[in-house]
Order: sequence, then C-alpha cells, then structure tokens
Amino acid sequence: MPPMVASSKPHIEVENLEVNFGAVPAVRGVSFTVAPGQQLTLLGPSGCGKTTTLRAIAGLEKPVGGEIRIDGAPVYSSARQINIPAEKRGLSMVFQSYAIWPHMTVFENVAYGLRVRRTPSAEIAEKVDHALGMVQMRAFAGRRASQLSGGQQQRVALARAFVFSPSVLLFDEPLSNLDAKLRGDMRLELRELQHRLGITSVYVTHDLEEALAMSDRIVVMRDGLVEQIGTPDDIYGLPRSAFVADFVGSANLIRGRHRADLSKDGLIALETAGGQLIYGTAYGRPVGAELTVSVRTVHLQICPQPPPGTPNVWPVRVEKTVFQGDFSQLHVAWGDQHLVVRCAAMEPVPAGSEVYMTVEPRRVVLLAPEAAASA
Amino acid sequence: MERHPRPVSAAAPSAGSFPAQKLAGYGVAAVAAVLVLYPVFYLLQAAFDTGDPVARPPTEYGVDNFAAVFNYPQILLNTLTVSFAATVMALVIGFVMAWILARTNVPGRRVFEQLMVVPYYLTPLLGALAWSMLGQPESGFINQVWRALGGSEHIIDINTAYGIAWVMALFEGSVAFVMIAAVMKSMDPSLEEASQVMGASRLRTMLRVTLPLVIPGILGAAIFVFAEMLGSFAVALVLGLPSRYYVITTAIYQFVQQYPPRIQLAAAMGVSLFAVMFVMLFLYRRVVTSGSYVTITGKAFRPRVVDVGRLRYLLFAVCVLYLLAAVVLPLATLLFASVQKIAVAFPSADNFTLHNFSAAMSMNAARSALGNSLILGFATATIGVPLMGLLAWLIYRSRLPGAGLIEYVVMFPQAVPRLVFAFGMMWAWVVFPIPIYGTMWLLLIAYLTVFLPLGVRTISGVMLQIDKSLEECAQMCGASWTFRTRTVTIPLLWPGLIAAWLLLFIASIRELGASILLMGAHSKVITPAIVESYFGTASELTATLALIQTLVIGAAMIVLVAFTRRVGAHPID
Repeated sequence: MPPMVASSKPHIEVENLEVNFGAVPAVRGVSFTVAPGQQLTLLGPSGCGKTTTLRAIAGLEKPVGGEIRIDGAPVYSSARQINIPAEKRGLSMVFQSYAIWPHMTVFENVAYGLRVRRTPSAEIAEKVDHALGMVQMRAFAGRRASQLSGGQQQRVALARAFVFSPSVLLFDEPLSNLDAKLRGDMRLELRELQHRLGITSVYVTHDLEEALAMSDRIVVMRDGLVEQIGTPDDIYGLPRSAFVADFVGSANLIRGRHRADLSKDGLIALETAGGQLIYGTAYGRPVGAELTVSVRTVHLQICPQPPPGTPNVWPVRVEKTVFQGDFSQLHVAWGDQHLVVRCAAMEPVPAGSEVYMTVEPRRVVLLAPEAAASA
Repeated sequence: MERHPRPVSAAAPSAGSFPAQKLAGYGVAAVAAVLVLYPVFYLLQAAFDTGDPVARPPTEYGVDNFAAVFNYPQILLNTLTVSFAATVMALVIGFVMAWILARTNVPGRRVFEQLMVVPYYLTPLLGALAWSMLGQPESGFINQVWRALGGSEHIIDINTAYGIAWVMALFEGSVAFVMIAAVMKSMDPSLEEASQVMGASRLRTMLRVTLPLVIPGILGAAIFVFAEMLGSFAVALVLGLPSRYYVITTAIYQFVQQYPPRIQLAAAMGVSLFAVMFVMLFLYRRVVTSGSYVTITGKAFRPRVVDVGRLRYLLFAVCVLYLLAAVVLPLATLLFASVQKIAVAFPSADNFTLHNFSAAMSMNAARSALGNSLILGFATATIGVPLMGLLAWLIYRSRLPGAGLIEYVVMFPQAVPRLVFAFGMMWAWVVFPIPIYGTMWLLLIAYLTVFLPLGVRTISGVMLQIDKSLEECAQMCGASWTFRTRTVTIPLLWPGLIAAWLLLFIASIRELGASILLMGAHSKVITPAIVESYFGTASELTATLALIQTLVIGAAMIVLVAFTRRVGAHPID
C-alpha cells in the first residue's frame, strides 16, 4: 500500500511548537505535518527535543508556544489558549519502557483502553483476542507482565496501543530496550503492522537504521530545531547540512572555493585549499563562492587503476586500514586532507599502498550554504 | 475499521478541563497548609506578644520574650550539655556498629542489621522508664546489686545529664547507625582498591581515601542527630524531672503546665529552639547534598568486607552488648518489675504477682487511654493515608503549579519538636470557633499534622519507584484522572499505602510530645498516661502499662515487617 498517496489534508499539524523544561527551552519552534496513514519519524541525538515534541503532541508536556492540530482541530494552541488533556485527544502511545501494568494480566492490559470507552464485554473479548493475534501473543492472554520477556512486553504494549482504534499512534523509542537481533525483527514487524492498520504514526528514535527502514518521512532534529525534513532517501542521499550528513551515516565534508570557470556538464567544481579539485552536484541549492560538499564514506571507491570516464579521480596513499567486520575503514591522504573510505573490500588494502580513489559527481552533494557552517 | 475516529469525548476545548485533578490537588494542599500554618502563626504570635498574657489577641508586640530566654542560662547550658554528650555517644555507637556490620566479617551480620532498627521502634520513653528503674541512685536495680556485692552508695546515677544523654544515645544510636551505614554502603569499593593497587598501605588507604569519603556523611549524621537531641523530650522528662534537671523542651512543658502558665516565655523558647533546629537541618541538607562525594550517585555497592580474624568475636560481643543495653535489658527490666508487688532487684518468692496486669486493665484511666490511643491510631492512619497519599502525588507527580511550595509546608513539622508544635496548636485551637480543645478531635488533628512528613515520605518513596509512564500510558488510553488513579495508581501504590498506614498507626500509639499538652481529662491517651502513672503511682504499674503498649506496637511492627519484606520495601524511611 503506497502510503504517500496524495491526500487532501494533513492528519497532524505541528506549527512553531515551543516547549520549555523549567527555564530551559527544549523545543524552539518546530513545524511539520503528517499525512493520513503516514509514518513520520523524529530523528536526532539525545537532548534534541524529539521525545519532548512527541510528548507535546500526546498532551503529556504542556508547550509554551505554537499550535498542534489533529484532523484540523487544535488540541493545543497558545494563541487561542487551548490545551486538551492527553486522555481526550484520542491518540495512543507506545512507551520506551513499555509501561505494562504489573498488577494486571496481559488481557487486562490490552483491554484497558476499551474498558475506558465502556465497550461491551463481548466486544472487548473479541477485540483483545484480535489484537493479541496480530502481535502473536494470543497464547499469553492470562499471563502477568512479570512473566513476559522484553520482546513479549513490547508486543503487548503495541496491542494495547492500537486495540481501541486510536486515530494516531505515537512511538517513543519503542525498540531501544531490546537487544540488537530482536530489534531488527521487531522493526520489520512494526512496519508491517503499521501498513496493515493504515494508522497515522509518529515515531521517535535516535537510531538511524530504524528511521531509514521504518519511515515514510523523517524529521531530523537538533537542539530543539528542525534540521531537515524529507524521505529516507533524501535524508540519506541529499543531506542539507553538515550535521545531517554526519549524524545520518558517516560522511566526509570537503570545503573549498567555487571554480565556476572549470564547471562543466551541469556539475560544480570545488577547489580545496590544498589545491585538490572535485566535481559535485548542486541539486538546485544556491552556489556561492565558498562551498561545502558532503561525500558519504561508502561512496568513495578505491581502485588499483584509474577508472575511465569520471572527472573525480585522484592518486592517494592509504595511511591506515581498520577491519570492522562487514566493512573495512580506510584512512587516506588526499592532498593535505584526510578522508575516510568504507569499502566491503574482499582483499585487504595494506597501509602505505598507493592507489586511486574515485567518486561519482552525483554522490558529491552540495550543502545548503546557511546550514553548512553549523557543523 | 474506521480510519480516524473522533476523540473519546467531544470536550469543550478549554485549558482547565480536568477539574477533579485540580480540585483534589488544591483541596489537600489547602488542608495541609491550614494544618501546618495555623498553629505556627499562633506560636509566633505568642512568642512576640509582650502585652497582657491573658489578653487575646495580644495588645503589644516585641522581642522581650526572647531576651527573657537568656535569664535561664542553666537551662540552655543543660540542653547543650545533654545534646552534645548524647550526640557524641550516639555517633560512636552508630559509627562502630555501622563499621562492624558494613565492613567486617563479624558472625551474624544479616541478623544484627535487621535488629538494629528495633531500638528505634522501642521508643526512648520505654528506655527511659526501664533505665530509671535500673539506675536510680537509691532504688535502681543496678545499684541494689552493687550494694549487695559490698559497694557503698551507688555506682550509677541515671538522673544526671550523662544519664539522660546515655539513654538518648542508646536509642538515637540506631538512627545514627542507619545514616552512617548508608554512607558506607554507597561508597564504591573500587576507590579503595584503586588506592591499594597504586601501592598504598592499608592504613594510608584508610586515612587518605576511606575517611575523606565518609566524613561528610558522618558530619551530616552528626548535625541531624544533634538537632534531634535538642528537640527530644521524653527521656529528659522521665529522668530529669525527679532531680529538677531541665532542658529546653522540659522547661517549655513546665512553663505551660505550671500555674500561672508562662505562655509567652514558653513560646519564645519554642520558637528559638525551632529556629536553631531549622538552621541545623538546613546545614544537614547542605552537607548531604553538596559536601559528600559518595552519596551523589545514590547507588548501593556491596562494600568490601575486611577479614578481622579473631577480632570478629570481640566485635560480635560489642554488637550483642549494644542490643542488650538498648533492647533486652530495658524490656527484661520492665517485665521483671511488672510481675512484682514492689519492684526490687532480689524479690522473695511471695513478691511475685500477676495482679499488675489485671489492675492495669481494670484501671479506668489506663483502659480508656489505651482505647483512645487505638481509636486515634486507626483514625489517624485511615484519614492520614488518603490525605498524605494525595499530597505525595501532588508534590511529586501532579506538576500542578505550586507543588514545590507545598512540599516545604508539608515537611515543615519535621523541623519543629512535636511539643513545640503542639503548643502552637493548643494556643491556636483554643480560640477556634468550634470547641475542639480538650477533645480527641484535637489530638487527631495534631497527629495528622505532626505526622505529615512521615506519611508523605513513606508514600512518596514508593511512588517515586513507580515508572511515571505507567500512569501516562493509562492517560494515553483515554482514562480520566479519577479512572486511572483508581485502576493504575492506587493498585500499584498499595504496598506503600499499607506500610504508611501501619507506620502512622504505630507513630500515633507511641506519640508523647504533642499528646501530653493537648489531651484533655476525657481524651487521655496511652503514652502520656504512662508518664503520668510514672510520676503519680507505682513503678510496677507503669512498667506493666509500658509493656502493654509495647505489645500493641510490637504486633503492628511484626505485621509491618512481614508485609514490607514480602513486597520488598524498607520499613525505615
């Protein structure tokens, strides 16, 4: 099911949201929208305000400014003095700690939201059974929370969150307490479930892979501000700022002068202080006199002979090789700069080798000028 | 499945759409504020009233009463002597016991550690009564034994400053122990190991690493214990009054009780005492929060145990000796005295009787006092738990504006000796339009006030252990505040609420300082009745009453310990 189908109206709108912790501003004017059925991820390092933003949407934090609308109706508005309490917003949430109530059985945990809504008990039994079936926990209905593993608690928390058909599901780093293997499996399951339910969701994580794998759109946040909004492809492939380039995967940043005289084929030419020339792509971003480009470490390639047909070829010396399992990390001297190259090299390249390095100009991404300097 | 159902209920979009929560929150806050601040206001008023002592409201204000406090230098000196001596002894007891039980391989450490809280629950009053029977110069059992062995006069005199300090220290020693042991346990043993790995000797490690790390904690305990000693009342009353040895608390009591009472002077003494204690507790908090390196993480380590070789049997004897002096000997003395017609050290066979027990239970005064205490214990605990539970929630969970201020108000009685607080209450409720002075209602109000810190701390201790998201999740499921409080918060809090109920019950039954001033002729309660019996009637009967009270408290204690052990909470807050 393509989740990005053009829809008439956004489901969630966050506008100039500001939240303070005491006197300290945690969120400093954040705006984004989520289309119906879409999964949006708030991504950023700890302390960037992503969880606070999510909790403000939930109604668990009281903002100090801005507006939050759900289905076009404001649930918080500083201008109109509206702040609907969390329990009346009709949302649901999966907590980082799962928050499974230890004094209730799995069944009672899941049934809670339905009981709140005074659902007839026959219907409760049916819906809980269905929800537990969807997360493959039907056999555990009579268990207590203390008898469940982390992954099982996670599934119960999930069933509890969607069983009463909320309009929006919020996820606060739901996978961060699971071990790496289980996290990978749950990631796929969650994505699958979200598609099946077709439910609008906002997801918070600091894990890049999780964000790239699960989202329709990603909001990268930093210091309480939005750094970039886009699809996973955009965020990874076309980072707008040095921060995004660096946080989302690993990248080399190269600064230098614009050599308009050498530009060709719609490419931009950049000359570093050390005199190295590299061709890149502007992607419609304004080209000034001083430029910064980002090159992902995986997009740089090492080859024994200079490959034909590309303007970006340089002879380089490998200074250090670090074997890291799935890939090897090479530190190479490039003019007076040091670049990092990640390659799935079958044959190890020993330190001191003289080799050639190349990169496709479309992988050399110009950063937006105002955002480039802030790294 | 409907794709975007409407929110749970179409609430009017207004800022204040959770009235139950705010109503309950600000309701209990107002109750607590009245309970605490109303008597404090009258206490201050009396202290600064320099006009006609009978006229209310006061006709003149001034600071003369405070100047008058210094007309009694002997009382101030006595207070300092007793408090200082008792603090030193209590710290020695606390430190030695903490070191033995936390850092050495003495046999039976686990059991001793459990037993160390018993003196705290036995109450200083019981200790004072027992030690009075043991150590009075003429009739004290120890001195009787001394003379039987050929000694002359007496070997100990409990009715002196050091006698008072000794008994106070025996019981406050267990408080010092709990505090110092906590400091020792919160020290990361790898800090010492690091020193030894770098080649420092054991002695050097102890002087340069261990001591500097624990000293702030011990200093904190010293300040706290000293403040407690300044405000302590029961021991000085029982042991000091016979020899007319007054400390500040017993002097306040005397000035209020005598005829004509000297209310203004007593108030000024109370306010001064409270001011000093307030400063000390402020210092204590400063030392504990900023001065200490080891309590920062709040993490408990398993301290490194030192193998002390043969010495462990000597240390074992020290532990036994302390528990003998603080627990076994006092209880045995009371039991011994309660089964005699006239309590002596060497009774003849026909001196033994069980008559005291039937007499105690048939005595109207004692029976009604015990009955009243039980009623008050039940009422205080039953009203106190919801009140203090709501306050704990208000302060630590609600995030309603003003919660921090409420915390200060609620914790305020902690810094005021109960006797002084009760004095303010007496003065306040006498002029209250509804005549509750001299009734059990006033005692109930007094207990609810002075035990606010105890109840709120016990409940909040459990409340803070409950992950906040458990409540938030209920909220996200659409549950209103009342619904989620009933279905999530209270069930999760249940163990803490039961523990708080039992602690409030025990505290009410053993309360002396507030009750002795506030009880009326028809609202007598057990602890002051025991003191009255001690000064008025035979010591055998007093011993019997004290034992009966101890049995009631002991039964509640056993339930509490059994309960808290099952749910894994700790009885001492």
